[in-house]
Amino acid sequence: MAGSEAPPNLKLLLIGNSSVGKSSLLMRFTDAQFLPEDESSATIGVDFRVCKLEVGGRRVKLSIWDTAGQERFRTITSSYYRGAQGIIVAYDISNRETFDALPRWFTELETYVSPSVVKMLVGNKLDKEFSRAVTEDEGRKFAERTGCLFVEASAKTNIGVREAFMELVEKILDTPALWAPAAPRVTSTTTAKPQAMPGSIDLSATPADQDQSQGCGC
Amino acid sequence: MPTDLPYAADAEVSLSYDELEVLRLQYMREEGAGHVTTQTKFNYAWGLVKSPQRDHQVHGVRLLQDIYRAEPARRRECLYYLALGHYKMGNYEDAKKFNGLLVDKEPGNLQAQSLGTLIDNSMAREGYIGMALAGSAAAIGTILIAGLIRRAVRKPE
Repeated sequence: MAGSEAPPNLKLLLIGNSSVGKSSLLMRFTDAQFLPEDESSATIGVDFRVCKLEVGGRRVKLSIWDTAGQERFRTITSSYYRGAQGIIVAYDISNRETFDALPRWFTELETYVSPSVVKMLVGNKLDKEFSRAVTEDEGRKFAERTGCLFVEASAKTNIGVREAFMELVEKILDTPALWAPAAPRVTSTTTAKPQAMPGSIDLSATPADQDQSQGCGC
Repeated sequence: MPTDLPYAADAEVSLSYDELEVLRLQYMREEGAGHVTTQTKFNYAWGLVKSPQRDHQVHGVRLLQDIYRAEPARRRECLYYLALGHYKMGNYEDAKKFNGLLVDKEPGNLQAQSLGTLIDNSMAREGYIGMALAGSAAAIGTILIAGLIRRAVRKPE
């Protein structure tokens, strides 16, 4: 790849159970802000932000998609996996349930994204150390097993958030196959796969289907 | 860090034909079987509202109104997508009304805030166009009336 090519537009996706702090991580990263619990609200469907970032002397434009963690949106948010180069899977270190739900999120990832997509596991709410329910070691082991990057962070006290996003982006930039434009992949058009199971709607597109027209047009 | 804020992502991004078709088929299948689950209905309505086609949006809004009436637990999402649907159809008054209801319940909701901004901007733009139209109509009217008066004044001579 040429050294000075146009900055790639990267699509990142935040997933994880409801109220683990996905939107807070995003707000902390893009706006350097944190909304207190009583002011924040569950994301409806999907929210997203675009931000520019310089990593290792290269300018990148990120469009970061923040999805609703609520069960009721599970069947529809799958369509947002399309074209993502990086995924942040978040859980709350003070809430065991959110950690135990991780396998389900990873099953979903296996279904919707190609294995080369860079994944990062983020244990959020490090500020709640006093009520920790998941050890750092457990988090790290899980990440190793699933081939993810790993970090513990706090959107509230601004620990590890920037590092998490930076590391993820660096890893993506080190994997040109994910974003290099001239990768003539088999662009088989999406085939609708009607499924009999209610509630499990497959909105899958081809995993490597890179829809550059989506997201940031600015 | 500089950020651009086209928050209301759902306003801009629509589903592919095939994706919407999956949601539609699920809906039709359940309808054929005699009972449509709220989730299926909501999913289909969501897909319709996101579509750039007006007839889709209208259909989506109608389904959302059904859910809003029947399922109080789903009102929050319905309000947001009702506002979005009306916004996309250009019914800014209705969009503002539904979004306002959501903002009343959740003043801190950033998505509702950003959708509110989109609505306000569109209303302002439409207002300017309206004013420009009214202005030019007034100007033309003045010219016509002036002409008539002139003619009327001239006649008796």
